[in-house]
Amino acid sequence: MRRPVLVRRDRPVRGGQPLAFAVGLILALAVGAILLMTAGHEPLRVYQRMFEKSLGDPTAWSLTLNRAVPLGLAGLAVAVAGSMGLWNIGAEGQILAGAMGAAWVARIGGAWPGPMLLTGMLAGAIVGGGLLALVPAVARARVGVNEIITTLMLNEIALRLLQWLIHGPWKDPESFNFPLTPMLPDQGRLPTLFGRAHVGVLIAGAVILVFGVAASRTAWGYELRVAGSSANTARYAGISLKRKILTVLLLSGGVAGLAGGIELAGTADRITEGISNGFGYAGIIVAALALLRPSGVAAVALLFGAVQVGGQSIQIIGVPASVSTILQAFILFGAIGAGVFVRYSVRLVTTGVDASASGDGDDGEATA
Amino acid sequence: MPCNDDSGRLPGEVALTQVPAVELVGIWKRFPGIVANAGAHLRVERGTVHAVLGENGAGKSTLMNVLSGVYRPDEGEVRLDGTPHRFHTPADALAAGIGMVHQEFRLVPSFTVAENVVLGAADRILRRQDVESRVDELARRFGLATEPDRPVWQLSMGERQRVEILKALWRDARILILDEPTAVLTPNEADELGEVLRHMADDGRSVIFISHKLHEVTGFCDEATVLRGGETVAASLPVAETDAATLAGLMVGSTSLAGGRPPSRTPGDVRLAVSGLCALGDRGLPAVHGIDLEVRSGEIVGIAGVAGNGQRELAQVIAGLRPVTDGTVHLGGKDVTASPPRRRFGSGLCYIPEDRLGVGLAPRLSVVENAVLRTYRGHRRGPFLVASRMTAHCRDLVDRFGVRTGPLEDPIAGLSGGNLQRLLVGRELSSRPEVVVAAQPTRGLDVQGVKAIQDLLVAERDSGTAVLLISEDLDELLTLADRLLVMHDGRIVAEFDPADSERNVIGEAMAGHLTGEGVA
Amino acid sequence: MTEASMIGLLVATVSFGALLYLAALGELISEKAGVLNLGVEGMMAMGAVSAFMAAHQTGNPWIGLAAGIAGGALTGFLHGWFTVVLGAEQVVSGLSLTILGLGFSAYMGKNVVGRPPGAVLKPVDWGPLTDIPWAGPVLFGQAPFVYLAVLAGIATWFVLSRTRIGLALRAAGDSASTADAAGHSVVGLRLGAVVTGGGLAGASGAYLTLSLTPQWTQGITAGRGWIAVALVIFGAWRPGRAAVGALLFGGLLALKTRLQTFGVDFSPILLSMLPYVLTITVLIAISIRARNRPSPAPAALGTAYRREER
Repeated sequence: MRRPVLVRRDRPVRGGQPLAFAVGLILALAVGAILLMTAGHEPLRVYQRMFEKSLGDPTAWSLTLNRAVPLGLAGLAVAVAGSMGLWNIGAEGQILAGAMGAAWVARIGGAWPGPMLLTGMLAGAIVGGGLLALVPAVARARVGVNEIITTLMLNEIALRLLQWLIHGPWKDPESFNFPLTPMLPDQGRLPTLFGRAHVGVLIAGAVILVFGVAASRTAWGYELRVAGSSANTARYAGISLKRKILTVLLLSGGVAGLAGGIELAGTADRITEGISNGFGYAGIIVAALALLRPSGVAAVALLFGAVQVGGQSIQIIGVPASVSTILQAFILFGAIGAGVFVRYSVRLVTTGVDASASGDGDDGEATA
Repeated sequence: MPCNDDSGRLPGEVALTQVPAVELVGIWKRFPGIVANAGAHLRVERGTVHAVLGENGAGKSTLMNVLSGVYRPDEGEVRLDGTPHRFHTPADALAAGIGMVHQEFRLVPSFTVAENVVLGAADRILRRQDVESRVDELARRFGLATEPDRPVWQLSMGERQRVEILKALWRDARILILDEPTAVLTPNEADELGEVLRHMADDGRSVIFISHKLHEVTGFCDEATVLRGGETVAASLPVAETDAATLAGLMVGSTSLAGGRPPSRTPGDVRLAVSGLCALGDRGLPAVHGIDLEVRSGEIVGIAGVAGNGQRELAQVIAGLRPVTDGTVHLGGKDVTASPPRRRFGSGLCYIPEDRLGVGLAPRLSVVENAVLRTYRGHRRGPFLVASRMTAHCRDLVDRFGVRTGPLEDPIAGLSGGNLQRLLVGRELSSRPEVVVAAQPTRGLDVQGVKAIQDLLVAERDSGTAVLLISEDLDELLTLADRLLVMHDGRIVAEFDPADSERNVIGEAMAGHLTGEGVA
Repeated sequence: MTEASMIGLLVATVSFGALLYLAALGELISEKAGVLNLGVEGMMAMGAVSAFMAAHQTGNPWIGLAAGIAGGALTGFLHGWFTVVLGAEQVVSGLSLTILGLGFSAYMGKNVVGRPPGAVLKPVDWGPLTDIPWAGPVLFGQAPFVYLAVLAGIATWFVLSRTRIGLALRAAGDSASTADAAGHSVVGLRLGAVVTGGGLAGASGAYLTLSLTPQWTQGITAGRGWIAVALVIFGAWRPGRAAVGALLFGGLLALKTRLQTFGVDFSPILLSMLPYVLTITVLIAISIRARNRPSPAPAALGTAYRREER
């Protein structure tokens, strides 16, 4: 029996990850095309419209950039934690918590001047996200509790907290029994940058840039890498693991929270349940595709933003929105699959016991 | 070629058959960057205990992994009772009657003894009592007493090893391979093991015993094969007729062993003082029970002991990586018992940990990043790290300590063991310490690597540093140490003068038998 | 608080409990083998939509059930393929499958949203047993899924603790190299576990659309996949304890819509936070205890296994 086996290459294929990414993209488009055809649409026409409406003109770009903001910040949040080997699965909830924090500031600061209110809202967002990450951070740092599950659970808790606020204390008394919160005050909205894009794009870009530089050029980033590489080595080098875990997870939560605040102040009128819109989970995929590098996060977030905006734009011609979700997932799967071959090659090996003829007459073919 | 004459056969040995039980012919095995086996061969007769000797890194483990189906050879043939076999998975080797007891035990810690023994065997449905009583029977038959229903994580090393052997016997292994089995045993337990192995050989099974310890080989093996640099340099030597010096020479590649001891100096002030030190091990049980010791400037104090008697924990406590439950540590007169590692390093301590690639060096980082692990705070400008300064520092270390490496930005995991250790030791020593604590500094290195590290340690001592050397290699300690302490069960049980003591007396102290003779 | 409403609460507790338990069992098996499956929600959705559409097309609810199991199992296979065979990160693969499963099921089901079901799996008729007061409707008036869940639980316990393959599977999750050295195929065991897990999640989804709330809408799974993941931890990876947890969480779900009828003035939304809060608490407690003894979590959970890595 000859069986294929994965064998590690001496050196990964050069330029591997972008290549894997491209393969993923092509695969996704192919699968998407099949799906579209079975539903009676013309793939090329659909893709063309998607492209036009997401990257075709400045207005399209502005929409894409808006979308890229929460995707990028969530991706950054996951990437920062990931570079230390920690999984922040709670970005979805932290975005909600951030939005809640910003909304709370907006409620009490309705009379403040614009810049002050906006700064306060964003600060509230960062604190909100950080607060939600507090329990997982402390639990992991002091007791070693796996942060995957704790952050995951807090997603659901945050969602319900928001639902409770919307149906209860924050309900707009003038909304006639519909569970809605009041709209944001005018000065609580981020000013426009160009087209439909808001200033949040610049903020997000700056944050990603700062983290990118910090991770690769500062002592702090170096310590993160050491801690992520081996806990014992970090201890040996005098790096306080507990403090690092705590700060990284809190920072991660804060960045995700910021995404929620920007979403609220930038694209939404009021805070709703759906404000996190899957960005938190998508951020994990963005970070994975970007190999946890901030520069990659920006690029992938832009791409995913384009896919999402494009996906929305084709609903008018009758294509369901879920197509864009499917495309995003397949980009990832294609990239994962291709990424494996960047590091491993396939060899055919003989399996089972081969007893060649030496007079025994033993066929000796055992199944593995 | 098969030898049919009767010379050299020990009493009780099974009659020599024409066809050997195991024959490995021309085995080649390569890994990225390393050739582990280069045409190695081995021939084991049925019913014998056969030693495979070699220094660390000679290719013994790799060869045995080929035989047991874990690795597939790039070239060469495996023959059992004359028939060639090709194993793709360990299951194939198991089915062919080969049982291997690895150095790192392959046990599931949360399973009981019985569950571990039975894992992989053919029974469909297991009734707990049946399995446990059958395991018990088997254990008694071969002298491997154990409790079948205890979870393995509670067992000592020696007990776990018995479980491993039981596993092989359960499957009626005709060929049993033991990889450095006595590394974790006391001399008494090692003797017991020797008896068990003889039982099996008398039972018609073939036992392959991998070791780098000569006295064990002469104790209970019939024949020995020596590997060096991935090749077989001597095959099937009858042990009863070969003296230890010859075997040792074959292992290291010259007929004379390394010569005498470096001249001692008069020690100066006490630089490291430990008093009444107690600490817990990883599992919450006491590992260090009240240790007192002093190391002066200009001397090497050696600590001998079988692995697992608290040496590791002692080193970690002195370095500040493990908390103390009682007692004090003083560096140069200052009480550092409560100080974190960084502060101790600042007070002149340097620590060479046992665990090279997991503690001393960060495996996924580059050579440069590892080289600056202790000094990176000094390479900053504001919050930023200055890359040129880091690279210069790294290059300096690499040149001074003879580290052979590719581009400095490459991941450090690509370096060989010897070079890793040179970088690690160099990095530590370049901080001009006053006290060096070295735990197993030459483990796993080739001959040049061992010499290089030993020379560095002696040079440190000569320049006035106080060196605490913890080693499993008694020969190393006898060569380098000015004073020799023996640790057993977390206590210092004896002190010897290395220039004037007998190995077996030291060995007994290591086993916890104080005879009153060797106690200084 | 009438007797009827109490009985209604208990009936719902058992129903919801079974729903959660089926998915949780799947996750338990998968995690015991060492594979974290965060795609449960997606597999439930795939199972739900497949079951509904198959029942809709054929008018036969049992075919629907089979389709639901198959839909979940197939999605599970994808997860297994990427993580076990190709060695990709389990967290990433699982989450992507949740996203994919939710999206794909929405796409598949877009034409049948809100349509009446083609066929429903009605409660099993146990005859006179149903007339026993209290125990009757609660234990014997349930849909076949509930009994399926009970059987699955017993079978899981038996296989895991008493059979050779169960031992091998647990070894693969606790110490993959040991299982490998013992001659088992770690890949095969883990893949099998994940596919089984997916199938059970699919069955759970089928329960939703064929019995509990017999219709298809996007989002019908409503986060219950995450509760299933929580349940495994809450039950410390043991089928028996997970069953208790399932009843507890199921009761909370049932209570959520009944708080008003019981005259309790507590927000149902806050009540629905409890399962997650409880799980975090239990997890912290387990971790504190695990300092001196091994944790009940499978030691190799979340890691890929490759034999020749040096």
